Amino acid sequence: MAKSNGGIRILQGLLVFGNVVIGMCGIALTAECIFFVSDPHRLYPLLEATENDDIYAAAWIGIFVGFALFALSILGIVGVIKSNRTLLLVYIILMLITYAFEMASCITAATHRDFLTPNLFLKQMLERYQKSETVNNNDKRMTERVTETWDKLMLQNQCCGVRGPSDWQEYTSAFRATHSDADFPWPHNCCVMNAQGSPLNLDGCKLGVPGYYNSNGCYDAISGPMNTHAWGVAWFGFAILCWTFCVLLGTMFYWSRFEY
Amino acid sequence: TMLPLLLLLLPMTCGLEMLGHPPTLASPSLGGLMTTSTFVLEQPRCVFNEVQGDPVIWLVVAVPEAVPNFNNSVGPGTPQRAFQDFPATAPAYMTLNTTLLNYPCPKSPKRPGDITVLRVGSETSCAGDETRPTCNGPLPGPGPYRVKFLALEGSEPVAETAWSEPITLKTAQPPSSIPATGSTHSAGMIALTSILSILFAILLAGLVAMLVFWGSDTCGGSSTFSKPETVTVQRYNTHHVYDQPAARL
Repeated sequence: MAKSNGGIRILQGLLVFGNVVIGMCGIALTAECIFFVSDPHRLYPLLEATENDDIYAAAWIGIFVGFALFALSILGIVGVIKSNRTLLLVYIILMLITYAFEMASCITAATHRDFLTPNLFLKQMLERYQKSETVNNNDKRMTERVTETWDKLMLQNQCCGVRGPSDWQEYTSAFRATHSDADFPWPHNCCVMNAQGSPLNLDGCKLGVPGYYNSNGCYDAISGPMNTHAWGVAWFGFAILCWTFCVLLGTMFYWSRFEY
Repeated sequence: TMLPLLLLLLPMTCGLEMLGHPPTLASPSLGGLMTTSTFVLEQPRCVFNEVQGDPVIWLVVAVPEAVPNFNNSVGPGTPQRAFQDFPATAPAYMTLNTTLLNYPCPKSPKRPGDITVLRVGSETSCAGDETRPTCNGPLPGPGPYRVKFLALEGSEPVAETAWSEPITLKTAQPPSSIPATGSTHSAGMIALTSILSILFAILLAGLVAMLVFWGSDTCGGSSTFSKPETVTVQRYNTHHVYDQPAARL
């Protein structure tokens, strides 16, 4: 009896420890997802315009799941220490529901990250950047935001286009409809700027002289933060779920074994 | 009398000097070397320096069909050489006129910062202006085009370069030609989905097993409710104190 009593105690200790870790990870998940939702790189307008912004939905779910994990871990600790069967049953069922939501969040983030290819952003940039004829208010708003985002992106990251300035030459675009090719082989934001915010040498920029225009593409500047976002939500969530799986199995075992 | 005739003949045959350097495109390191309506040529430096007098160097841009029968005497600014009518009624146009002073021979080794180029097609303001037939306007299509430099003394052609190779400009595709984003599922995503699904299935199975176990418990199977305490009442064989005195008596 003494031995099994000790075994039960060890199991209790492990479960309490497991729940403490779940609680802390829940808070960490909430914090991480709040950080992503706040969009520090201001790239959300590009995602919104692709009408495929589910990695943001995944982050939103993550915020609430993280908080639920924290609350449930406290319930779990109380249930294990008090050895109350009802509490533990409630804990297990609610944890399973939270598990399902977090699973949805991870899979959504991972799947939708795969949609964000260079071609997607290229097509969007060509069709929306500086588009002058918009069909309705929604279209106008999205166009303005995409234009604003691209302008900021090109200035801050010293880049041009998705793969390079040749994007503006290889394809016709909404930009090309209002800006002639001779005056604007590429937008002026692709030029190297001086301190006042105007091109250092406009002719040099139009000619494409190295040093007077940005010859690299912006795709790295876009995909870097988005990858971090998607993988951060997906893989951290996955790690939490693996740990939670072990704790839940242990709790189920404990539930079916302990005596009143 | 023969001698003066010969002397008279000499200057006339030396009328149009053919120089060997055809125009070439500028260095490929320029990003804007060829766009959909412009291209960049190297300046004809040190090419016309042998020419006497004070000629004006013109750039001639023509469609390849006009090259065999090209007439150097047709002056710039005439309707057959007007940019605005190119290439419909004018098979060639002349533009970018400048004096020899602007194309000097390089005195010292070329400094790396120097770029000596001519951008053909850079003037958009006069492209539709009929009063500016020598406008350096954007080219109307992808071409191909052939160019050469022509030196005019007054209205008399005195020197020319050979015709360049045909130059074909870029053609822009519509954005709809970009392949629809074929989203391939990455290995990581597949692993994540499958592992999580398996774990969730195990947990659900565990929950079901737990509830079945609890259910069978309350129905009175082997239970952990009642504690199997075997109460053994030990009968103490008390010393029959009362018996012994009776036996002695």
